[in-house]
Amino acid sequence: MATFNVQVTIENKPGISDPEGETILNDLVLRGKYESVSKIKSAKMLRFTIKENSKESAQLKVQEICDDVRIYNPLVSKVSIDVFDA
Amino acid sequence: MSLESQELDELKSKIGRDPTSTELQIVAAEWSEHCSYKSSKRHLKMLPMTGPLVITEKGYDSGVLDVGDGYVVTAHIESHNHPSAVEPYGGAATGVGGVIRDILSTGTRPIALFDGLRFGDIEKDKQAKWLFKNAVRGISAYGNCLGIPTIGGEVEFDECYKNYALVDVAAVGFGKKENLIKNHAQKGDVVVLLGGATGRDGIGGSQFASDSLESEDRSAIQIPDPFIEKLIIEAILEARNQKLIHAMKDLGGGGLSCAVSETADSLGIGIEMDVTKVHTRESDMHPDEIMISESQERMLIVTNLEKLEKLKIICEKFNIQCSVIGHVTFDSLMHVKNGENTIAKISTDIVTNATLLDLPSKKPAYLETIENEKEFPLLDNYSETLSKLLSSPNIASKIWVYGQYDHEVGIRTVVKPGVDASVLRLDNGKFLSVKIDGNPKHCYINPREGAIGCFEEACRNVVCTGAKPIGMLDHLQFGNPKDTEIFWTFLESLKGLTDFAKDFEIPCIGGKVSLYNETPLGSIKPTPVIGVLGLIDDTPMISQKISENDCLVILGDTKNELGGSEYFEYIHKFIGGKCPVVNFVDSKKNMTSVLEIIQNKLAKSVHDCSKGGLAVAVSELCMTNNVGCSVSLDKVPGESLSIDKILFSESHSRYLLTIDKNKLDNVTTTLEKNNVSFEIIGNFGGNSISFSNDSKPVIDLLVDKTQKTWLSSLEELVMHA
Repeated sequence: MATFNVQVTIENKPGISDPEGETILNDLVLRGKYESVSKIKSAKMLRFTIKENSKESAQLKVQEICDDVRIYNPLVSKVSIDVFDA
Repeated sequence: MSLESQELDELKSKIGRDPTSTELQIVAAEWSEHCSYKSSKRHLKMLPMTGPLVITEKGYDSGVLDVGDGYVVTAHIESHNHPSAVEPYGGAATGVGGVIRDILSTGTRPIALFDGLRFGDIEKDKQAKWLFKNAVRGISAYGNCLGIPTIGGEVEFDECYKNYALVDVAAVGFGKKENLIKNHAQKGDVVVLLGGATGRDGIGGSQFASDSLESEDRSAIQIPDPFIEKLIIEAILEARNQKLIHAMKDLGGGGLSCAVSETADSLGIGIEMDVTKVHTRESDMHPDEIMISESQERMLIVTNLEKLEKLKIICEKFNIQCSVIGHVTFDSLMHVKNGENTIAKISTDIVTNATLLDLPSKKPAYLETIENEKEFPLLDNYSETLSKLLSSPNIASKIWVYGQYDHEVGIRTVVKPGVDASVLRLDNGKFLSVKIDGNPKHCYINPREGAIGCFEEACRNVVCTGAKPIGMLDHLQFGNPKDTEIFWTFLESLKGLTDFAKDFEIPCIGGKVSLYNETPLGSIKPTPVIGVLGLIDDTPMISQKISENDCLVILGDTKNELGGSEYFEYIHKFIGGKCPVVNFVDSKKNMTSVLEIIQNKLAKSVHDCSKGGLAVAVSELCMTNNVGCSVSLDKVPGESLSIDKILFSESHSRYLLTIDKNKLDNVTTTLEKNNVSFEIIGNFGGNSISFSNDSKPVIDLLVDKTQKTWLSSLEELVMHA
């Protein structure tokens, strides 16, 4: 068993609006004249520390947890999971 | 594509050719039950919709009542059941947003929100708990961000809503009569889309889009953005003050398709528009998607070129986008172009007038036996029963819910949530009292009497604040109307509401029908929700603190009507029996008497008797005033009944009055003069809620202990159980 840090990023699916990201882009960044920025998306990130056999099983386990305990609503959000060695 | 084959044939014969894909999308949206009311419209006409205070204008999405001195109150009710059942946070929040824009579209400022929430059994069902928690969060997030107080509502749990949610939102607006938008259009007027960008969110909310449009990233989910909504409210009201708006409509179900076709039809004009002029969030949207997207926070405005320049300045000031998407024509056609190409050209009359159905109905078989009473042996300990009821999810204090809502912002709230009806101060020195009520348990047992009961209960609550009912909103929520038995329950409820409204001269000023509310267990119970608005000319009834030796007077008879009561359903797990029936004559007499007593300032507080019956109503008085009360059940007027029935019957038209001893004679004289049934049944004092029968103790509960469970049990259940 090894310890892994797993980062779960939860964001609205593409095509679904993201008022927070759009507000930051329009009302802060573009008003601050940082005109090279074209898009900002807000997301929530959870960092799990988990003991598993491998990176793959850590990723699968975290995915399973997120689905099972409703960390996100699959109709609205998508999750991406990144695993790092602790 | 969700037009049925005979509807497609009908469309073809009406336009004399095959419709284009865009026309199909537009018509499918507009002919959906949600937009066309095709099953219900024929029957809704029976409701009385006019009255001395009602102001009607073509194209209004909300009801308007004249409250005197040049002011009007507007009101509307909507539901967001299907979206909330899959995404409770966004669904409930966007429901709030939609009803606010209906208020705004008449040119009035939204000043208060109400919500009625119904879910499955949260004691057993994890999904129900998740839906409940997040719907409340969505409503509070949206309303609180906007600075509009959420001042009332109701919450109910019943197994019939398993894996489902009924989220009803009502809003009230206020403004000057002279500022109402008089919807009209002139030659040369332009059509403007103002507010949020159009995106793929919410595509096919009112009907599901064609299969070819379905893909992973397109769903019927709508994302709330209260900050844009707030900017829209302020921008629109400023444009209204500058008289820049000829006609206005909010974009709700069916998106642009419905807003454009309905505006054109109600004004008797045509509209030519270009989808490429619509400001979109993504660059690759298909024209059909633009036409049916249900992206939130958008308004359609008709104005002229000169006023447009001023409108643009306002939009710039509030940093919201507006696009000129088309112009008014006089051919009664809805003409949609994609750049130079025409993609739809169809008569607005065809689009907005789906063929109304005359659905068959049949009395449901279950009603033959449902009223058969089951006799329950008397229990040994009614203290325990009452205690259990007071901590049950349907009766426990809803402070966990309304505590999350800002109910004071705007400083109009005179009577806050948590009692009977909330009261708002208006600018002309008058007060507005509003309440929404539903009772699916009663309506299931008797759709007609149950619906009348909801109506009377809402009136009762409003009367308790000293207000005279002046208008009603009805929200009729049922299952699949093609099921003859379900349609029968719809018709019965509607007929009941109509009879009560006519008899009491309370006009229906707005409403909504939501059908196809089905769960994995089948159809929901009939769930009409009734909102009543009441007007107080001088001072509202503000409850005074009850003190030792004050008397408790009950008005109205207690009858053997326990069908659908919390006592039968929660304690005995029995669905059946006779549900409460409103006697119109007594109801009216009691209302008039209560109003007379309030006007003469004879009562310290007035509370209505409803869910959980007399026992619960008395307990509520004790718990909110931190005072005990001894009640003699043998003195309660009405039929001769066993003690459990006197305690828990939910008979209508009953009020509990708290009277100072010195004023008791005055009160009894008034009540005797009015020939109403009443009795002095108890005295306040001490620290326990106690009921006795012929001097034998029946219930004895400590106020402080009971109060603690009553206040905290719902939160415990949601957050910790």
